Amino acid sequence: MQQTGGGARGRRDWLKLGLAGLAVPALAALPGRRAQAAIPDALVAAAKKNGGLNVIALPRDWANYGEIIDSFTAKYGIKIDSANPDGSSAQELQALRSLKGQARCPDSVDVGPSFALIGKQQGLFAANKVSTWDSIPADMKDADGEWVGDYFGLVSFAANRSVAKTMPMTWADLKKPEYKGMIALNGSPLGAGAAFAAVFAAALANGGSHDDIAPGVHFFGELAKLGNFNPAKATPAGLVGGQTPITIDWDYLSLGYRQKAQGKADVTVTIPEGSTPYGSFYCQAVTKGGPNPDAVKLWMEYLYSDEGQLLFLKGFAHPVRYADLVKRNAVPEALAKELPPAAPYQNVKFASQDQLAKAQKVLADLWPKVVKI
Amino acid sequence: MSARLGPVAVLAIVLGIVFFLTPLIVTFAFSLWEGGDRYGFAAYRSLVGDPDLWASLLLSLRLAAETMLLGMVLLVPSMIFVHLKAPGLKPLFEFIAALPFVVPAIALVAGLSALYTGPAWLIGTPNYLVIPYFFLALPYAYRAIDVGLSAIDVRTLTDAAHSLGAGWGQVFRLVLLPNLSTALLGATLLTLTIVMGEFTFASVLLFKTFAVYINDTGSSKVTEAAALSLLSFVITWAAMLGVLLTGRNTTDLGGTH
Amino acid sequence: MAEGGQDLSPAPQAGAAARHGGAGTVPALLARAVPWLFVAAFLAFVAAFMLAPMVTVLVQAVWGDHGPTLAYVRQLGEYRYATAFANSLILSAAAAAVGVVGGGLLAYALLRPGAPGWLRSAMTSFSAVAANFAGVPLAFAFISTLGTLGLLTAQLKRLGIDIYGLGFSLYSLGGLTLTYAYFQVPLMLIIITPALRGLRAEWRDAAENLGATVWQYWWRVGLPVLWPSLLAAFVLLFGNAFSAYATPYALTAGNIQLVPTEISNVLSGNVMESPQLGAALAAGMIVVMTAVLLVYWLAARKAARWRR
Repeated sequence: MQQTGGGARGRRDWLKLGLAGLAVPALAALPGRRAQAAIPDALVAAAKKNGGLNVIALPRDWANYGEIIDSFTAKYGIKIDSANPDGSSAQELQALRSLKGQARCPDSVDVGPSFALIGKQQGLFAANKVSTWDSIPADMKDADGEWVGDYFGLVSFAANRSVAKTMPMTWADLKKPEYKGMIALNGSPLGAGAAFAAVFAAALANGGSHDDIAPGVHFFGELAKLGNFNPAKATPAGLVGGQTPITIDWDYLSLGYRQKAQGKADVTVTIPEGSTPYGSFYCQAVTKGGPNPDAVKLWMEYLYSDEGQLLFLKGFAHPVRYADLVKRNAVPEALAKELPPAAPYQNVKFASQDQLAKAQKVLADLWPKVVKI
Repeated sequence: MSARLGPVAVLAIVLGIVFFLTPLIVTFAFSLWEGGDRYGFAAYRSLVGDPDLWASLLLSLRLAAETMLLGMVLLVPSMIFVHLKAPGLKPLFEFIAALPFVVPAIALVAGLSALYTGPAWLIGTPNYLVIPYFFLALPYAYRAIDVGLSAIDVRTLTDAAHSLGAGWGQVFRLVLLPNLSTALLGATLLTLTIVMGEFTFASVLLFKTFAVYINDTGSSKVTEAAALSLLSFVITWAAMLGVLLTGRNTTDLGGTH
Repeated sequence: MAEGGQDLSPAPQAGAAARHGGAGTVPALLARAVPWLFVAAFLAFVAAFMLAPMVTVLVQAVWGDHGPTLAYVRQLGEYRYATAFANSLILSAAAAAVGVVGGGLLAYALLRPGAPGWLRSAMTSFSAVAANFAGVPLAFAFISTLGTLGLLTAQLKRLGIDIYGLGFSLYSLGGLTLTYAYFQVPLMLIIITPALRGLRAEWRDAAENLGATVWQYWWRVGLPVLWPSLLAAFVLLFGNAFSAYATPYALTAGNIQLVPTEISNVLSGNVMESPQLGAALAAGMIVVMTAVLLVYWLAARKAARWRR
């Protein structure tokens, strides 16, 4: 697998799936060719009457949410209040509980899959099936419509090339002595989703599976013993500034940081080679009894329309309708060039809720015993 | 009497200055980095031009003022009255003043959110934060005022004032508060810095205070993060000096004249 | 702790009553009640917004989905959480000790007559800000300075001193203690200054006149007078360090188990959610702090008796 930014060899595979890129704009211009229905005007009018929309925990540089929010407001004239952009999934659910019935209550949340399940169990969500429901794969949505995946990503390496002179390409590469003190996760694996995923990915690369996360923990234990593991929380500031020059994070985040760092630092991003990639998706859910019920329906329709899904893709996050978009050649050529090679994304399998729960328990127990910094 | 600083004192001061200034200097150096080999004030310019920064700063300052006010209305009279009329209640007050240490902020906010979900005019506005902030500042404010109360002879002062015909209102305004001014100033300053630095409550309750703004910007924008750390330090220091200068009785916190 | 006399002053009340037209009239009773109203208001405020949430947390720690249970409390004995409590206790004690010694010495130095006044004001106001400078900015500053790739680390390496090779690590309990010192020492400075000013210069002069050395002065006069305040300061610093959350999380991302970061993992994390476990951990913190305060209270009572 190759590094991003023009890997022609890898992309040829999926280009073969459809007509040449030249045909795409022509096809899109033909009337009646679009596979999705337009958003009904009645919904737009009702949404505007709500007066606003409350969202929570959507950082502007996460999966291009900044542009998504701005273009939604520009297109429909509905102002979005974006609270606590750095909030965690647990904080989102907590906000739904403590702000219930208030005008400030978030209308929708974007949470990890375990939390989507918890939210459903606690009755926090309202069922809402968007018009493009059928084109969403079954393993990324709730049968009752109470939550639905919005985008997914794979675990990736990001490295600041002025500090890490050679790019680590595999998990085994991380053990090299030249990376001493450089490798950081974006939090504790028990508290941060990307860090948890990193341990799982390491497990898949070292003889583990979705049912067995222990090899991943042992890998990080070894990394810590070698002195390569930097326990500080990896941030874009640390990546670009050199305090945490190698980070293991979601691909869409890494690619976003790389894009923003252009001109400041040279960052390379890669999906680790030689092992099954680990991926996970985030889930959208509509608050039950939220303050702006029509606006949030419009928001969901927008997110799951081709336009919204492509905006996620622009933020390097593969939208859940990616397979459908590719099948209909709806992905613009220019955008496709910016993405990493498609192969790992097409075959990714996600861990089930039970596997996640089991892994959390093992991790909680094993990590403090094995990883000593 | 030794009018010169002994070697221990000099060493302590020098080490102190080095220890406290070094991280700040390093942060400053980083905040000037504009990528590659360029250095400049671009980060500061972009920060100062950000309306969110001023909005959150004003909010924090306003909350600090409101917390101090609440303390003056609720805490100071109670402490004076306990000191004068019910010394038996003093251990209870000491216990209450120590309570905020016992409960971690994360747990307290979870408890508060579970218990109180209305009315909207209180819970929905940032003024709700004044309540937990009052408790956060309580141990420090209590100690500062307690030291002040012990240092002046409250009983004699109030007895004298009463025998001269003053009512409680006048006793407070004209006798007690002026004498307690340094202690009150100390309490005020501590409250100010606590409110300016407080993050947990504001973030969980989704209010955009200055500390929340710092955290939000700090994790996304690189040099702005460093610039913001320094700016926040300088702004808080300036606010403090402002309060100090307006209460120009002494140059130290707490203690007696 | 205070053991005051009784309130035996009829004069002011009689004066007030006389002014308000005789003892026992409604205005007089109202005037007498006002002080108690203030006290009552304060106590009610505390009960509603401090005690009630605290009780809520304690109840939640022992209440499962099917009624009272000790399951969550028992989970505290697991390796992960037991280590967290041990680490937190060690770190808090160390950070408090460093704060007391460092801050105490610094405060003493600044109060010496030889110290310039402007330096005193500058350090005092600086301390008030630094005492609350904890969190992400502080961690970032220390990582940039003393991290594995920090500025100071690199400069020292150029001079031939590899601090990480010598065993130092910012990402250890020792490194955390050093970082904590940045807000512990200023806090100590603020707390101890009034007490230090209470050490009258005349006592120092008298001691010197009687032939006491510096050490003897401190051992016989200075420390005995100061030590209740020092103990109170230690407790305050301990509590401050114990509940610090943002700084250690930014510095070690929760990879050194500490109780506040464990609470945040289960209460406001992105991987799992367990409110009852969080409440149990919080209850554990409450127990520890109560024990510390109890020790302090007993010691301070002994000191008060000695002073009288």
